[in-house]
Amino acid sequence: MPEPTSLIFVVDDEASVRAAICNLLESVGLRSEVFASTEDFLNASRPEVPSCLVLDVKLPGMSGLEFQEVLRKSNVQIPIIFITAHGDVPTVKRAMKAGAVEFLTKPFKKKDLLAAIHQSLERDRARRDEETAISELSSRFGSLSAREREVMELVTAGLLNKQIAGQLGLSEVTVKLHRRHIMEKMQAASLVELVRMFDRLKPRIRS
Amino acid sequence: MELLTNPIESSQKGSVASCQRYWIAGLTVASALGITLLLQHLFPYPFLFLFFGAVMVSAWFGGTAVGLTAVLLSTLAVDYFFVPPFHSFVINATAEAYFASFVFCTLIASWVSSSKKKSELELREARDQLEIRVAERTDELRKSNLELQESERRLRLLTEVIPQQIWSGTPDGSIDYCNQQLLEYTGRILDEMRGELFLDSIHPSDRDRFHLAWLHARSCETPFEGEWRVRGHDGKFRWFFTRCVPLRSSDGKTVRWYGTNTDIEEHHNAKEALLKTQSELARLSQSLSLGELTVSIAHEVRQPLAAAVTHGEACLEWLNADPPNLERVRESVRRFIEDGTRAGDVLARIRALFQKEAPAKTWFDMNQLIEELVAFFRDEAGRRGILIRTQLDHGLPNVEADRVQLRQVLLNLALNAMDSLTNTPEGEKEVVIRTEQENDMEILVSVEDSGSGLTPKTSEEIFEPFFTTKPHGIGMGLSISRSIIEAHDGRLWATPRPSGGSAFHFSIPVQLEKPDA
Repeated sequence: MPEPTSLIFVVDDEASVRAAICNLLESVGLRSEVFASTEDFLNASRPEVPSCLVLDVKLPGMSGLEFQEVLRKSNVQIPIIFITAHGDVPTVKRAMKAGAVEFLTKPFKKKDLLAAIHQSLERDRARRDEETAISELSSRFGSLSAREREVMELVTAGLLNKQIAGQLGLSEVTVKLHRRHIMEKMQAASLVELVRMFDRLKPRIRS
Repeated sequence: MELLTNPIESSQKGSVASCQRYWIAGLTVASALGITLLLQHLFPYPFLFLFFGAVMVSAWFGGTAVGLTAVLLSTLAVDYFFVPPFHSFVINATAEAYFASFVFCTLIASWVSSSKKKSELELREARDQLEIRVAERTDELRKSNLELQESERRLRLLTEVIPQQIWSGTPDGSIDYCNQQLLEYTGRILDEMRGELFLDSIHPSDRDRFHLAWLHARSCETPFEGEWRVRGHDGKFRWFFTRCVPLRSSDGKTVRWYGTNTDIEEHHNAKEALLKTQSELARLSQSLSLGELTVSIAHEVRQPLAAAVTHGEACLEWLNADPPNLERVRESVRRFIEDGTRAGDVLARIRALFQKEAPAKTWFDMNQLIEELVAFFRDEAGRRGILIRTQLDHGLPNVEADRVQLRQVLLNLALNAMDSLTNTPEGEKEVVIRTEQENDMEILVSVEDSGSGLTPKTSEEIFEPFFTTKPHGIGMGLSISRSIIEAHDGRLWATPRPSGGSAFHFSIPVQLEKPDA
C-alpha cells in the first residue's frame, strides 16, 4: 500500500532505532525522515502532506512529553506516536491525555507501529481536508457583498423572504435576487447545503 | 565559804563580808550564854550544850574562822561563868579536865560543822555545774534535732518535687518506699507495690525482660538499668528509663535497693521516629538504587533489542516484496546481527561491573560480629516483641572473609527471621543465632526462628532471584547472600526447625592463620 504523498517523521536519539524504523517503513513503502533531536525536527521544512511524528519519550534535553506540549502551544497539529524503552503508567496517561495517538514500548510489534501510523495519517489527512474545504468556503464567502452576507445570515437562521425584507427594509423581490446570487457564489445546490456551509464557516467569521 | 570558792574577790568587799560573818559568832554565843544563864537554875550541873549549838551554827554559816571565833568566845564565857571559881578566868585544877574536854568538844563540833558545810557546798557546786552541762547538752541536742528534721524535710521535699519517680526496696526485692510521683503516675498505693506486685504495671511485652534484669541484678547484686513501658493510672503506657543501684553495708552485703524511673516517652518516640525514618530511608534508597539499576539495564538492553526486532520485521517485508529486494534483505540482516550483538555487549558490561566487587578478606572473630549485630537489633526486636538469643561457641577460630559482606548476609538472615515472626503469637517470637565448629575445616553459623517455617519445596525456591514471600520484598536478599557465601567457598542452606520455624545455616571454611613470620 504505497502512499507516496505522505511523510513520517521519526525523532529518536538512538541511531540504531532510527535506522531500524526507517528500514521498516521503507519496506512497507512509507516515506520517512529521521531526526536525532527535536531541534532538528523543528528546523526541517515540512511539506504540506499528511504526516505524523514517531517520538521517543526519553530524549536528551527536552523530553518527548515536553515537546508534545511545545507543539500544541505553537499550534503545530501533527499526530504523535510515542515510543519508549520503559513506559510507566503515569507517563502513558499523560501522553494519551495530551492527544497522543498511541504509546508503544520498545521493542514494539510491526503491526502495532504500522496500525498507529495509518491511524495517524488518516487523522491528519481528514484534518487537512477539512482545513482545505473551509478555506475554499471562506474564499467563496469573501466574494459576497456586505448586503449579501447580511441576507445569508438571516436566510440560514431560517427567516422567510418576507421577514428578511421587513428586517432589512428591502422589497421581497430584492431579497429573492440576493438569495439567487448567494446560492451561485457559494456554489450551494440547496438551502440545506448553504446552512451546513454557514455552520462550518461560523468559527472563521467570528474570528 | 564564798571566800574559799572565790578567793580573788575584792579585798574591801571581802573584809566587810567577813566582819559581818564574825557577828554571827558573837550573836550566837551571846544567845547561848543568855539562855544558859536563864536555864542554869533549872539544872543542878552546868548546862553547856547550847554553846555546842552556837559553835555549830557559826561554823555552818560563817566558816572555819567564824567557828573558831565562836569556840574562843564560848570558852571564855564558860570559863568566866560556869567553871569554878565563877566570875573569873582562872580555872581550878579540879575543873581543868572538864574544861579541856569542853574545849575539845567545841573544836570537834566546829570542825564537823564547817567541813560538813564545806562538803555540802562542794556538792551543790558540782550539782550546779552538772545542771549547766545538762542544760547545754540538751540545747545542743535540740538544735541538732531541729537541723536533722529540717534536712529530712528538705530531702523529702526533694524526692517529692523532682520529676523522677523514686523507690527503694529491701534486699529480697520487695518495694518499701515510693515517692509521690510514682504513686500518682501508677495510681496505686504503696501496699499494692509491695513484693513483686509492681510487675503488673510493666507492659506485658516488657515484663519478662524487666523481671529477668531485676532478678539478675539481685542475684549478682549489681546495678541494673533499662527501658520499658509502664502503665499509668489512665491505663496508658509510657516508656521509662529505670536505673537501680544496691546500697551495701560495710561488710559488702546489699542492704537496700534504690531506684529511679525517668519518663522518656517523648525521647523514645523521637528516637523511634528517627529509627523508622532511617530504616525507611535505607529501604527506599536500597529499592531506589535497585529499581534505578533495573530501569537503566532494561533501557540499555531494550534499545538494541527494539532495533534488531524492527530490522527483522523489515527484512520479512523486503523478502515478501515482488520481486524480493535482496539488497535490502542483506542490509537488514546485517543490521539485525549488529544490534543483537550490541544487546549482548550491554549485558556483558553489566556483568563485568558486578564482578569488580571481589571479597576484601580480613581475619576477624565471627562471634564478635554476631554480638555487634545483635546489639544493633536488640531495640528493634524488643519493639516487635521478639526475643533474640545467641548460643556462641567461644572456642571458634578466627575466619578469613569479607567482614562487610558477611555482615550483610547475617543482617539479611536476621531480618528475614524477624519478618517471619509477624504472625507468631506474642511470647513465642524467638530468633536464635548459633555458632559452632563443624569440623577442623569449617565453622557453622545458624539463624533460627520460631516463625511459620518452610515447606521442602520453598526451601530451595527461596534462593532463586526475585523469589519473595514478603509483600514489599524484591526477592534478592537470599540470592545475593548465597552468592556471597559461595564466593567464600562456603554453603548457605535452609532446613525446617524441629520445634517449628525455619533455620538458615551457612558454613565458612577456616584455615589456620598464616603463621606470622
